Amino acid sequence: MTTGFSLSSRFGTQSLGGCYAPETLMQPLLDLEAAFRAALADPAFEAELKTELRNFVGRPTPLTPAPRLAAKLGLKALFLKREDLTHTGAHKINNALAQAILARRMGKTEIIAETGAGQHGVATAAACARLGLACTVYMGVTDMARQAPNVARMRLFGTRVVPVEAGQGTLKEAVNEALRAWAGSCDRAHYILGSALGPHPFPTLVRSFQTVIGEEARAQVLEQSGALPEVVLACAGGGSNGLGLLVPFLGDALRRVAVEAGGHGMVLGEHAARLDGGRMGVLHGCKTLLLQDEHGHTAETASISAGLDYPALGPELAALVLDRKVEVRRASDDEALLGARQLCEAEGILPALESSHALALLPALAAEGVATILLGLSGRGDKDLSTYQARLGI
Amino acid sequence: MNPLLPFLMAGDPSLEALPGLLSEARSLGIEAMELGLPHSDPIADGPVLQAAAQRAIGRGATPLRVLEALAGITDSPDVILFTYLNPLLQIGARRLQTLLAPTPVKALLVVDLPFGEEPAFEADLRAAGYPVVPLLAPTTTLERARQILLERPDPGPGAPFAQRFAYVVARLGVTGTGQAMDLGPVSARIQQLRTISARPLAVGFGLSDPRSLAAVRALGATPVVGSALVQELASGRGLSDMLSGRLVGDA
Repeated sequence: MTTGFSLSSRFGTQSLGGCYAPETLMQPLLDLEAAFRAALADPAFEAELKTELRNFVGRPTPLTPAPRLAAKLGLKALFLKREDLTHTGAHKINNALAQAILARRMGKTEIIAETGAGQHGVATAAACARLGLACTVYMGVTDMARQAPNVARMRLFGTRVVPVEAGQGTLKEAVNEALRAWAGSCDRAHYILGSALGPHPFPTLVRSFQTVIGEEARAQVLEQSGALPEVVLACAGGGSNGLGLLVPFLGDALRRVAVEAGGHGMVLGEHAARLDGGRMGVLHGCKTLLLQDEHGHTAETASISAGLDYPALGPELAALVLDRKVEVRRASDDEALLGARQLCEAEGILPALESSHALALLPALAAEGVATILLGLSGRGDKDLSTYQARLGI
Repeated sequence: MNPLLPFLMAGDPSLEALPGLLSEARSLGIEAMELGLPHSDPIADGPVLQAAAQRAIGRGATPLRVLEALAGITDSPDVILFTYLNPLLQIGARRLQTLLAPTPVKALLVVDLPFGEEPAFEADLRAAGYPVVPLLAPTTTLERARQILLERPDPGPGAPFAQRFAYVVARLGVTGTGQAMDLGPVSARIQQLRTISARPLAVGFGLSDPRSLAAVRALGATPVVGSALVQELASGRGLSDMLSGRLVGDA
């Protein structure tokens, strides 16, 4: 039985992250880290994951040049890393599938997950169906309403979707409820956390299963253009997509930019921009930049994008930001909608609202004189059609 | 042995009622009680304490107001402040000590603070007389339990129960009254823990009926009763009425 963590649980010069978990979850987290380390050292795990990523997920995903959008924005070149083309339609499947395989190795028979936009829920539901694991997904009622197609997809995969009515009915409350459920079933269930947040070892686990995005993209952009871009750009909710794309570029002389949800205003409660509005705090098991009031209560957030509508930036991404290795910018709801529309019209690709926040930053980067950009298109926008229809009047 | 460790949520039903409730508890012979600091994201609490925290926050029971309401109270059992870490971190260790000084708070039960995560913060508070209560869950191995009890040591028989006891979480899951509990595993657990520690033990999570409380006492441990009290108090029942039947009785 493991009694201490072996991997570092802290990130950056300010020691973000950590493992601020209720005692009931400590041994399950220690066991999870041990299983993760054992899996990484086992060629059979890597082989199975690689095979499933190819045959089930559809990796490697393409890197698509977007010359018409680039020309329109005054960029020399724009490349899109197409996580929207993975099975289930977003990068979330990379982590969900890997953790499901890990859970099966640990002898777990049940899976718990939270979901915001529903992409992590759908990915987990699909992975569980594929591996024959029982799956329960916790989802806020607000998100269930705005991402209804994903609720139906999860149910089709045999997953039980549990509505969470507390608070604003979004991702934060879904994580609360998933953590509670795990405390009651950790003897048989594994919790597949979907973003690079939560108590150690989750942030490290999730990041390590997502860096396949940036590793592929880096090789592909070198192959296609013979050079690295000036900017690598991704949206960031918790940070699984942001870290997945940006971390493999940390050693390169280029700008790494993460885009947060600017929502519909600058006042606390009107956005999910943690860098400007957040202070150091502890939520959901980790210390990081957190939107909170003066009492240490988590603040309300707002974003048109359910996947970015979360009060904390994942600890590793926050550490990279504070240590000036990643820049953080924000894009408003309206700017994201415009970004989505431009991509649709210029390239025939419908992006998720989350990814649209990265697209929304392109004009600003072009105005700063940036010529070449690689953008992480984290997911497809089918789930957001009703929002696009309502907000764009189509 | 301390016969009962009751839990109340600060600010529910109201902060104004708090001094009276504490005084009443003391007059019933309650030596120590837990007082919940309402939090926005109580990840270890079931529906009853979640709802109580929401009601309390809605009525303005912020951490500072709770501590202000406790300031100057002497007619009270020793109070164990049951809380999540973030509100304490935002106050800061030094200011927290100043705020706690005039209150009956004798220890802190920080649900999401395992030992070793905030060593300086915890050491400062312990040195100032506010030790963090060790929690032992059903998933805690005996080896880890030994480590926890070492990291959060017993100040010894001269110290009050509130600063000495270890909190044994009786079952998996969150706080709240569950179905009737099989006390067999709890009994085995207490016997097991007795082999590594002689300090007082409190047993909580899901206990409410006088019979299971008496059964825990028969095992030589102090039963915690929380969600049931909070629910009954919210429905208008008096504290003496709720506690008197639970302080005595046979298994």
